This record gives sequence, structure tokens and C-alpha cells, in this order.
Amino acid sequence: MAANYWDSTQAKYWTFTNAELAEMRQELADSEQQHDLSTRFPLPDRRLVSIYLQHNLVRLAKRMSLRQQALATALVYIKRYYLRVEIRRTNPYLIMTTAVYLACKMEECPQHIRLMLGEAARQWPEMGVSESSKIGECEFALISTLNSRLIVHHPYRSLAEFTPLFGLTGDEQTLAANIINDSYNTDLSLTSAPHIIAIAAIFLAVVLRPTGQAAQNYTAASSPASLKQVGPKLGKLVDWLAESKVDMGAVVDATQEMISLYEVWEQYHERICRESFAKFMHTANK
Amino acid sequence: MNLTPYTPQQHVNDLYDIVGFISSGTYGRVYKAVSKRTAPAQAHKHPTTGRPIEAFAIKKFKPDKEGELQYTGISQSAIREMALCTELSHPALIHLVEIILEAKCIFMVFEYAEHDLLQIIHHHSLLNRTPIPASTLRSCLFQLISGLLYLHRNWVIHRDLKPANIMVTSSGAIKIGDLGLARMFYKPLHALFSGDKVVVTIWYRAPELLLGSRHYTPAIDLWAVGCIFAELMSLRPIFKGEEAKQDSKKAVPFQRNQMGKIAEILGLPKKQDWPLLTAMPEYQHLGTVGVYNQAVNRPVGLERWYRTTMGNNNYAASNSPPPSDDALDLLQKLLEYDPLKRLTAEQALEHPYFVGADGNDKVSWNCFEGLETKYPARKVTTEAQEIGTSSLPGTKRAGPSDDIGLYGKPGFKKAREG
Repeated sequence: MAANYWDSTQAKYWTFTNAELAEMRQELADSEQQHDLSTRFPLPDRRLVSIYLQHNLVRLAKRMSLRQQALATALVYIKRYYLRVEIRRTNPYLIMTTAVYLACKMEECPQHIRLMLGEAARQWPEMGVSESSKIGECEFALISTLNSRLIVHHPYRSLAEFTPLFGLTGDEQTLAANIINDSYNTDLSLTSAPHIIAIAAIFLAVVLRPTGQAAQNYTAASSPASLKQVGPKLGKLVDWLAESKVDMGAVVDATQEMISLYEVWEQYHERICRESFAKFMHTANK
Repeated sequence: MNLTPYTPQQHVNDLYDIVGFISSGTYGRVYKAVSKRTAPAQAHKHPTTGRPIEAFAIKKFKPDKEGELQYTGISQSAIREMALCTELSHPALIHLVEIILEAKCIFMVFEYAEHDLLQIIHHHSLLNRTPIPASTLRSCLFQLISGLLYLHRNWVIHRDLKPANIMVTSSGAIKIGDLGLARMFYKPLHALFSGDKVVVTIWYRAPELLLGSRHYTPAIDLWAVGCIFAELMSLRPIFKGEEAKQDSKKAVPFQRNQMGKIAEILGLPKKQDWPLLTAMPEYQHLGTVGVYNQAVNRPVGLERWYRTTMGNNNYAASNSPPPSDDALDLLQKLLEYDPLKRLTAEQALEHPYFVGADGNDKVSWNCFEGLETKYPARKVTTEAQEIGTSSLPGTKRAGPSDDIGLYGKPGFKKAREG
């Protein structure tokens, strides 16, 4: 729970190594092999699919004035769910709607199921759902697949705690929060403790900041030149990390993960994702 | 399109035999059950004792609308309880064994507790007219506050502590139950007030809630503990007020009667003792309490209430020593008006009442230790009868009930309701 991430169901049951994730995904793919789904319906890189889901969810969230944390919780539910269920066997728009509906209850900003359906149906006509009971049924499937482990720890809280410690400016904090938002498109929420992700985000924010570039300028962080420009703040961060018991290897890995996400991001095209979703959804309907 | 149809993986009737009906509430019904998984390897073991669990209490959440044959979305309270019970684990917290999601119906399977504090209070007040032994009282309070400390350290406020929600196992272990109203309080997205306007059964509701506080804290649970402590001593609710119901405009009314019951004993709160009192939304109503209830102007005082209660208890006759005066001091510090001055769970556990004068007086985790009497087992009804419609605060259990069993089959229900 809040005070105790290490005792949480997230730490105990929903955190994996990269190798374990690869194995779980391979098992899922193998079990689907006879149906030939992945060859018939190729999908872009997993991270690009995730960006597509997140973009769509952000639009819905803006419309419904939902808070970032509820959105982040919904994203984690979706990531966990698709670790157990092949995405091509689902209606991703219904899964997204249901994940938001459930996350809003969990994060204490509940939305009425009919309002949820109305907003989702308006935004995603391709969802093809007109009864709120379908969301209700999907909610059972979602909770069951997640084993009722619904409390999610996010890096935002660690960021809030680290901000005064490292003397981050408002801009740096905002940038770090945006990088955390982006991190939901990687596997970090399935592999890393929230404070590791927060530190990686702060590190990137501090490094990126002097170049005056926003998080969307992905390649900046990977250029060695930008590293030279960073001042005493980074030194303080590095000193603190050296003295703390934080797993530096994990921070470096998380930072790498983010940098490679921003490289992949260059190839993102919303249309390609939408069309590849439409193909498997269309076929499954027959 | 793929609609993620839900196919239950498990059926409650395949796994459990229902022994009978225990209680009901707005959430649904609770049944006593035994496991059908008889092989030792399959038996559920208790996480802290390692002993196999012999009996279970199964909480069946009813759909929002009775007889609803469609999925309507799970209530927020059920979601909270499912998530929190899955996440939390402590010896003084009721242990969740599993959650079974059947078609349209949720069953939460808990370890069964033979008693609860309300039942124990009733046993003493109605049947044998003896006080609860001081050792039992002390152990109950200690375990209860230990469980509460765990909740608060995990940023959870229980919000509905009352004797009926505090279970006691046959081996004397206290188990806090019913987390349906509990919620996390670390930087909530909305002010805590905005979600559920009314929390805590009226008799156990803290003064800051009665005065409309919007940013209440874990201290509300400690007030409830104080009320429960007093009730365990006197065998009746200390502040037994009448709840003012919401009017047609759905405005939350000022609970004048309840405030009056508190003030009859403690006196009205004063701003010199409670600096933020004047900032309370309902502060202007406080002056009217004395107009309707003259007794608040000549309050009994908690110490006199305590002395009278102890005198009435006649410990000498019941062959059990009375509690030490540390009990009074602890009670006063729990029933403190100012939530900022009220003891926290952590402070309460360090109180001399628990640690003793020399600082190493151990409290037993078995509240029945040294007792000769045995409390009667929980009433479990098997016959099918109509359920009562009204339920009083603190007495959520309804006696016999319309026992529809655990057949969540739509056809079965339909037949009954049609």
C-alpha cells in the first residue's frame, strides 16, 4: 500500500523480470499459434500499440475531466490484462472503457456506467457496444484476470517526494511527470518499482532541461553533448543516489528503456494502429 | 466484435457447503460455510497461524437493484472492499480467503469468526448481567488498536468501526471486518468529504464529522474506538443519539440530537480547547444544541460517567477485578473533541493502560485468556423466513432472513421474483 510498496500485491504478484515477461508473452503467442492470429493480423511494435491506447485514453479522459492518476491506473490494468489475454481476441476499445470505469472507482472518482458508455461510444464508434451491461460483464472479466489486485502504486508520489529533495524547478517537475506519463508505454510499470521510474524520469528531466527541449524531443537525451551541459543539480542527484540504497542498475535500465521508447516513438502513426485494430476486430465479428 | 464474455472459472457451490445465514445489510448477505475441498493439501490455511481454516463466512454482494439480471457495474464499496482485503494482511484484520466472481454475482470468502463485539456485549447485558472481565476488555482494545494502527500506517481509514464490525474468533483473536467504507487517504483525488457524504454509524461518529468537517483524518477511527471502549465497559452505547434523516433536498442535516448526547457527558466543545472549532461548517448550529437539550449545560463529565459505570458493574460480585484507572485516562484521550489532540493509534498503544507502570506489562492476543465462561456461538439460521426491513445503527444483523441460498442462477432467481 501507500506506505509499503514492498508488501503490496504489485510488488509481490505484478512485477516481473524482462525474461519472465518475454516468457509469458511467448506462452500466450504459442497458445494462439494454431489460430494464426499474429500472422494474419500483424500489429506494430508493442510500444506503438501502447501509445495508440494511451492517446485514445487521454482524449477520453480530457473529455470526462478525469485525473491523471485514474488514467495511469487504467493503463496499468490494461497492460496487466494483455499479459494474460491476446489483444486480437478482445475489443480493445471495450477493454479501455472498462479499465477506465474500474480505475475511476478505485481512485475515488467514480463515473456512472451509462455516462462511461456514452462517452466511450461517442469517441470510439468502432467499439460497437450499446449496452452498459457489456461494460459490467467486461468488468468481471477484468477483475478476475487481475485476481482482484487493483491497488496500483505510481511513480507520481515518489516524484512529489523527490522534488523538494533534489530542488527541482516547476518546469523540471512537470517534465519529469510527462516522462512518467510516457513510461506507461514501456514495460516499466510491470518490471520496476515506482521510485525507480521516478528517479529515471527526474534524471532525464534534469538532463533534458538545459537544452530547453520538451520531452517530445526524444533524441536529445541520448546525445552525449546534452549530458555535458548539466550542472550541479545532476551532481547532487548522482551523489544522493550513490549514498542511497537505490538500485542504480535498475535506474540505468529504466533510463535506457525510456530513451529507446523515444526512438521508437518516431515511427508512430495513429492511422496504422487504428487500421490494424479494425482488421482483427472486423474479422472476429464474422 | 469481441465482447469479452465472462465465463466464471469457479462456482461457489462447487467449493463450499452453505451451513446457514448469518446477517444481511445494504451490501448483500453473509452466510456461514464449510469447504468442500477436504484433501489436506487443498485446505485453506490461515496466513498468520498456519492452521487450517475450518469455517468460512461468505459475503454475497447483491446487485445494485434486486433481481437485476444484467451486469450493472460493481458498487464502489464492493470494489474497495475487494481491493483492500486483497492488499492488506494483519492478525487483527479479518482474513480474506478468496473472491469468487460468478456470473453477475460476487462472493467474498472470509475466515469465519465465532463471535463479534456486539454479540459479546449483548451476552453480558442481556443474559448474565456481569461486566466484561477487565483482562478481556484490555486485550480487545489492544488488538483492535493494533489492527487500526496497521490500517492507518497503510493510509487506510476504516470509517465504519462499531461493535458489530469487530469480529472475535473462538480463540480470542480480534478481527476488524467490513472494509466497505474504508478508503485510502494519501492525497485523495477529491476531498474525502465529496465521495460518501455520510460515514460512520451515528453513535460512533466523531464530533468533527457531526460538525461537517471536510478534511477529516484517521482520528475519526480513534473516536469510534473510544465509543466502543466505553460500550464494552457499560454494555450500552455511550452516545446513543437519533439520526436526523436527509430531507427532500438531499442536504445533509446537522445531527443535533447526536451532538447533544455527546455533550450530555462531555459538555459542549469549547474553542479554547479546540482551536479550529469555529472553522467547522456546522459551528453556528452548536449553540442550538443546548436549546433543545438542557442536559448539555450541566454535563455529567466523563470521570463521573466512568465511576458510575464501574460502580454499576459490581466487579466484586462477578469475581473479576475492575480495570485500572489508566482505562479512564485512555478513554478521556480517545474521546477528545479536538481531532489534532486525540490520541493516534500509535500513541494509544503506548498508553500506560497497555504497557503498564513498569513499561513491560504484556497484553494477551487472546482476549478470552483466563476466562472460565464460554460465549455462545454465533446464531446461524437455516430456515427460510422473510427479512425485516428496518435495521438499527449498530445492529446490522437481521435475525432470520429470506434465505435464497447461494444459487446465483438467473433462472432460479427469476422464478422466485416473477
